[in-house]
Amino acid sequence: MLMITVENLTKKFGNITAVENISFNINESEIFGFLGPNGAGKTTTIRMLSTLIPPTSGKITIDNRDNRSNGEYIRSITGLLTESPGMYEKISGYDNLEYYSSFYNIPDSTRKNNIEKYLKMFDLWDRKDDLAGTYSKGMKQKLALSRALIHEPKILLLDEPTAGLDPESAHMVRIFIEGLKKEKTTVFLCTHNLEEASNLSDRVCIIKKKIIRIATLSELQNDDKNKRAEIIFTDDADRYVKLLEEPFGVKTIHTEKNRAAVVIEKPETSNPLIIKKLIDSGAGIIYFNEVKATLEEIYLDLIKDEKTK
Amino acid sequence: MKKAGIIFKKEIKEVIRNKNIWLPILIITAIFSIAIPLFIILGSSSLLSDEDTINFINKMFGQVDDPIRVLIGFALKQLLIFLLIIPAMVPSLIAPSSIIMEKENNTLEPLLATPIKTSELLLGKSLTAWVPAFIISTINFIILTVVVDIAAFIKLGYAPLPNIEWVIVAFLLSPILSFILTMASIIVSSRSTDIRAAQGIGAVIIFPIYLIIGLQLAGLFLLNITYLLIGCVILLAVCPLVLKLAVKIFDRENILTRWKMKA
Repeated sequence: MLMITVENLTKKFGNITAVENISFNINESEIFGFLGPNGAGKTTTIRMLSTLIPPTSGKITIDNRDNRSNGEYIRSITGLLTESPGMYEKISGYDNLEYYSSFYNIPDSTRKNNIEKYLKMFDLWDRKDDLAGTYSKGMKQKLALSRALIHEPKILLLDEPTAGLDPESAHMVRIFIEGLKKEKTTVFLCTHNLEEASNLSDRVCIIKKKIIRIATLSELQNDDKNKRAEIIFTDDADRYVKLLEEPFGVKTIHTEKNRAAVVIEKPETSNPLIIKKLIDSGAGIIYFNEVKATLEEIYLDLIKDEKTK
Repeated sequence: MKKAGIIFKKEIKEVIRNKNIWLPILIITAIFSIAIPLFIILGSSSLLSDEDTINFINKMFGQVDDPIRVLIGFALKQLLIFLLIIPAMVPSLIAPSSIIMEKENNTLEPLLATPIKTSELLLGKSLTAWVPAFIISTINFIILTVVVDIAAFIKLGYAPLPNIEWVIVAFLLSPILSFILTMASIIVSSRSTDIRAAQGIGAVIIFPIYLIIGLQLAGLFLLNITYLLIGCVILLAVCPLVLKLAVKIFDRENILTRWKMKA
């Protein structure tokens, strides 16, 4: 079931185009990673999705409703974690959550249970009565995340959810986001942390004002032009460079002691030929592995390609 | 309406805790509701021993039988206009910072991301300024009435207040004026990108009230029931316009994108 549909969305601020003609669909309970450099239009998109700002043109449909005419409903089913975890510093963490949650149409008992649940989940329960102004940056981020979750939204719009968190808390948040799939929550995840996006997202969208690519990680890896293989020999790898240079579609070879890293154009056809050739020539192979590009490598390549266009 | 109430409930607690709001109000109340009326009424005899005061009364009212009573009646007209200071001052102390503070603390975006309507947000914010203004004005009216009546009773043997003019000012003109100034301050707060600028402009908004006070003190006119009722009708007509303008001017996009977040 489609939860979010974005069609030909454009946003201009005066003469500046922040987002240009982007379209994508997000399914229910999907984690959709939204990646791009600074100024790529990520926050603008999140603001349009959460009905905070209207698009210049194009259409957003959320839970089968047009987002221009159903702002109140859409805001009631979405939870937004903003880029900066603004909190009322002169009231307690608990009171912050109570205040924000009271704008949603949820029973008092559920509200109180949820406040307790999330404060405990994010290790803030012991500090619940302290003024939010006394919280560390990481604690404020966790409080802001609790605020986004407090009404159990169908859609969670997260702008840098682990920014400012210590590794342990960041890990806990990632596990929590992963767990949201089971609860059928749709997650729109804006992040600069590509490892996080890679581990959490079902699909990623790479944007730089326009959409560069939308795909799953394995699709991106399959389409990667620079596939690599790592080979470990029993002896010096330099001895086999000439063999590897034979026309197997090998683009580059890097050797270090008994290791060779080769970039291959079509590994599915080249790899068996390379292995056969090496064995036939008496090479001792300890290890041969096709190394898949990381999301970071693919992302950097795509952004670089976009720059050169 | 319920959501406006939620905003009001939270913000009024902050207003109550804020000494920067209460201190000037206490000082103004002490001066205009206690010190000045006591000085004028209890000191009326010595004022009348001054030749200039006698000449002034003769010029204003002709030959009078009871100059003390005339002087106090005139003083009450002047004090009446001070009743407008509190309802004008309180919103200008509270409302200008209402939206800008939210922007500065980065709390506005998550607040706007909840299912609250712009009208509910503005209503909640304006109640936070309007309700204290109304309560303090009423308290001020009671204090002033009691002080004037006690002093006048001691001096003249009768209690002149409350009269119809005072009731119109306290319970009709003041609340209307407070509402308009509150909405005007919220408009300023919505458009400002700096808290000091918002407070500065907020202070300027109440200038017309000072102008009226100045004109009356200069003897250019005296507030009477006709003027007051005309003023009420005009200001009442302005109320929906200023509310509409505030809702129109409160543009979520402009507010969120023109504002530079704190690092």
